[in-house]
Amino acid sequence: MSTLKEILTRRPVAATIRLTVPAGGARPAPPVGPALGQYRLNLMAFCKDFNARTQKYKPDTPMAVTITAFKDNTFEFIVKSPSVTWYIKKAAGVESGSSRPGHEVASTITLQHVYEIAKDRVGELG
Amino acid sequence: MPASLCILFKHLSYTVSRRCLIHPSPSPLTLFLTSHKARDCSPWDPRSITAKLSTSSSTPTNTESLTSPFLSVHIRCPKDAADMLSEALLCFGASSTSMDEEDAFENSDKIFINTIFPEGEDVNMCISHASNSIGMKEIPDYEVKMDEQHEWIKKTQESFHPVEVTEGIWIVPEWRTPPNIQATNIILNPGLAFGTGEHPTTKMCLLLLHSIIKGGELVLDYGTGSGVLAIAALKFGAASSVGIDIDPLAITSARQNAALNNMTPDKMQLHLVSGESCPPLMDAKTCGVVEEQKSNGMGVISGREKYDVVIANILLNPLLDLADDIISHAKHGAIIGLSGILSQQLPYIVERYSPSLEGISVSEMDGWVCVSGRKTRNLADC
Repeated sequence: MSTLKEILTRRPVAATIRLTVPAGGARPAPPVGPALGQYRLNLMAFCKDFNARTQKYKPDTPMAVTITAFKDNTFEFIVKSPSVTWYIKKAAGVESGSSRPGHEVASTITLQHVYEIAKDRVGELG
Repeated sequence: MPASLCILFKHLSYTVSRRCLIHPSPSPLTLFLTSHKARDCSPWDPRSITAKLSTSSSTPTNTESLTSPFLSVHIRCPKDAADMLSEALLCFGASSTSMDEEDAFENSDKIFINTIFPEGEDVNMCISHASNSIGMKEIPDYEVKMDEQHEWIKKTQESFHPVEVTEGIWIVPEWRTPPNIQATNIILNPGLAFGTGEHPTTKMCLLLLHSIIKGGELVLDYGTGSGVLAIAALKFGAASSVGIDIDPLAITSARQNAALNNMTPDKMQLHLVSGESCPPLMDAKTCGVVEEQKSNGMGVISGREKYDVVIANILLNPLLDLADDIISHAKHGAIIGLSGILSQQLPYIVERYSPSLEGISVSEMDGWVCVSGRKTRNLADC
C-alpha cells in the first residue's frame, strides 16, 4: 500500500518499457538503444547502472528488465532473473520449443533440472 | 503473474539544466564510427554509414548491431491484457515492448504496445503465439512502422547537455556551444561508448584526476570508453595519456574525441587490447596485447610500472579479475583510482586491492563510489 506522501510526490509516468538484456552486457545499441532512446532516457546511465547491478549473475544471462520512464526523463528499473522458458530451453539444450506441442517432442529435461529451476525462481514468487 | 520484485532501483537524471545554444551545424548528428580521419563531418546518412562500416578495416563483426535495422510494430490490444501480452511477446521473440501512459486515456479500453523486433523475425507468428499463449481469442491489430529506425539516436543525442563537473570544468557535447568559453572545456561526441560526464563515476574520477595531477604525469586510462578521462588528464596538465579498451567502438569514439580536443598522437595514444586478462607474471609484450591502428602509426605497448596515474572506471568484475594487471602498470608510489562500483560492492574492491595500496580513500556520489590509493607493490608480490 502506498502512503499518502508517496502518492502525492509520485512522478508522472510517461511509459512502461520491458526488455531482455544480458547480465553485465547492456550497450547503448539495439535492443536497449531504441527502446529507451525514444523516451529520451539516459542510455549510458541505464547501461552502467544495469551492468553494475547484474555483476553477480553469470555474464550474458538474459535478464528481464522493466523500466518505468517518468515524464521528466528520469527512470527506475527492476531486474528479474530469466523467464522459466529460458531456463527450460537451456536445460533441454534447444533453441525453441516443439513446433507441434502435444505431438512432437523437442527435447527432454530431468527432474533434477526442474528442481534447480524451481529453486532459482523461488525468490521471484510471493 | 509473479508479484514480488527481485531488485528495485531508483535512478535520477544527471542532466544539468542550463540554458545553452544548440550549435547550428549542418550535420548535428555525426555518427562517430565512420573512419580514422581526424574529423569526419559527413552528413549523417544511414546508407553511407553502413557502407563505411563494411569497408573500415578495424571494425569488428559486431558493429552490425550498432545500426542494425529493427522492426517497430505498434500493437493495439485491450488494456487489461496489455501487461500479460507484453511479457508474452518478449518470450516469443520481441526485443522490447513499451506502453505509453498517454495512450491510456485516449482510447477507452485499448492501448498501444510499441514492440521492437530484431530484423528477420516473423512478426505475425510471434504476435500470434504470444496472444494465443495468454488466451486471447484473436490476434490483435498491429501496424509495422518502417520510419523509426534512427529516431532514437537523434533523441538520445538531443538529451546531452553541457555538464559542469566542478567549477571551471565542463564537458560539452560536440554540437553545443560551451557555456563558458574560458573554462576547461572537454568536447565530446559521446557516440555509443561510456563516458559522457554525466555519470557520478565519471564525475568522481574527473575530480580525482583534477586533484592529483600537478603537471607532467604519465596517465593510463584503463577502460577508456569515450576517452573522457584520458583527455581530461591532459587538459589538467598531464604530459601524456594512454587509453586502452577491449571494445573497438570505444577506441574509435576515443580517437574522434581526442581529435575534437586537438590532442596529437604524442600526447594521447589509444590501444585496443584483447579481452582476455594477461597472466600476471608475463610481460605485457608477450601478452599479445596491442593491435596496431593505422592512424596511430606506432605500436606502443602499455608497459609495466610505467605510469604515474592509473585510472580505471569500469565494473566490479573486471576490476577484480584484472586487479593484477591494473596495479602492475603503475609505478611504485603512483596513484591508482578505481570506480564503476556501487557502494555495496566496495568491500570486495578494498579487500582485493588493499594489499597493494596505502592511504586508501573513498568518495561517494549517488550510491556509487570511487576508491584511490598509492601503490606500494604488485599484487603478485604479496
